[in-house]
Amino acid sequence: MTFSALLSLIVPLLFLALFLYALIKKVKLYDSFTAGVKEAVPLVLSVFPYLAAILMLSELFEQSGLSGYLTRALSPAFSALGIPPQISKLVLLKPFSGSGSTALLSEILSAYGPDSYISRCACVAYGSSETVFYISAVYFAGAHGKKLFKPVVISLAANFLAVILGCLLCRVL
Amino acid sequence: MNAIFAVVFLLSALLFLLFDPNGFLSALLSGAQKSAVLALSLLFVYCVWLGFFKVMEQSGLSAKLSRRVYPLAKKLFRSSDQDALLLASENLSANFLGLPGAPTPLGIRAAEKFCAAKNDYAADMLFVLNATSLQLLPTTVIALRLAAGSAAPADIFLPTLISTLFSTLLGALLVRLTAKRRKK
Repeated sequence: MTFSALLSLIVPLLFLALFLYALIKKVKLYDSFTAGVKEAVPLVLSVFPYLAAILMLSELFEQSGLSGYLTRALSPAFSALGIPPQISKLVLLKPFSGSGSTALLSEILSAYGPDSYISRCACVAYGSSETVFYISAVYFAGAHGKKLFKPVVISLAANFLAVILGCLLCRVL
Repeated sequence: MNAIFAVVFLLSALLFLLFDPNGFLSALLSGAQKSAVLALSLLFVYCVWLGFFKVMEQSGLSAKLSRRVYPLAKKLFRSSDQDALLLASENLSANFLGLPGAPTPLGIRAAEKFCAAKNDYAADMLFVLNATSLQLLPTTVIALRLAAGSAAPADIFLPTLISTLFSTLLGALLVRLTAKRRKK
């Protein structure tokens, strides 16, 4: 854990270094910092409609049982590719919901024990994929709407292949 | 995105109609509620990082970094917009370091600039690099493993790094391959 302890130093160090540098450059820190904060509200407002739509969609996806059906339908195919069936739901859920998949990951960890093969696969699957739909909502609020299909598909495919690779690596490493 | 939204929404709505008509509205409301909560937590995070970035900008550090990364970022994103390239590079570094929340405001602004310039290639590349999550240390996973009483919480570091590196490279390659040829 020493490595991650080192990493936790990054944020305070960044702030310290930047603010000292800014003082040397005679920046009025308070004025400057508040000018930045001022932009936070408009930014959140511009993102909000897309965020709301995606989160409603992911809630529907999960609660309607659609994700369950898909999981059951795809599990055999997933196993053939080396993804344990126990984590196929996680693989399907991750692109939609960060908080949902985090909850699912901790369920898997406590159900199978954190150092089991299944849990290790789940961790790697979680860590090597991203909440693609959430990112599409937040980053491209409106501006790029119609052209999102291609990058979304590419990202989903790349993340899925990474999960397959990750499960394989868990067996070897 | 419109197609994906329509398909998932309609299929889910149909399932609700068949099996659980009362659950439909409550699922929508709970999604909306989550988005309000999330928007609020995004607001906290943006306050911190947008303040930070403004200081960075006004101290001249941004401009300095910009000149440094320009040649490389120009090739990666096929854009010559210095501001957008700087934002995009900062976004990628913040992602890599796993600074919680910091990549988002940078990414949004870079995306806005790329889109305004009608540079689809750059926007796609930015999206895919973000959506394939190149992160040095999977902090959330390690924290969860620690909480679950793992004997070796950082054990998954190497396989995760390899597979996430793989997805990022593959994604970037696919964007490059599927892009229309650049006019010379």
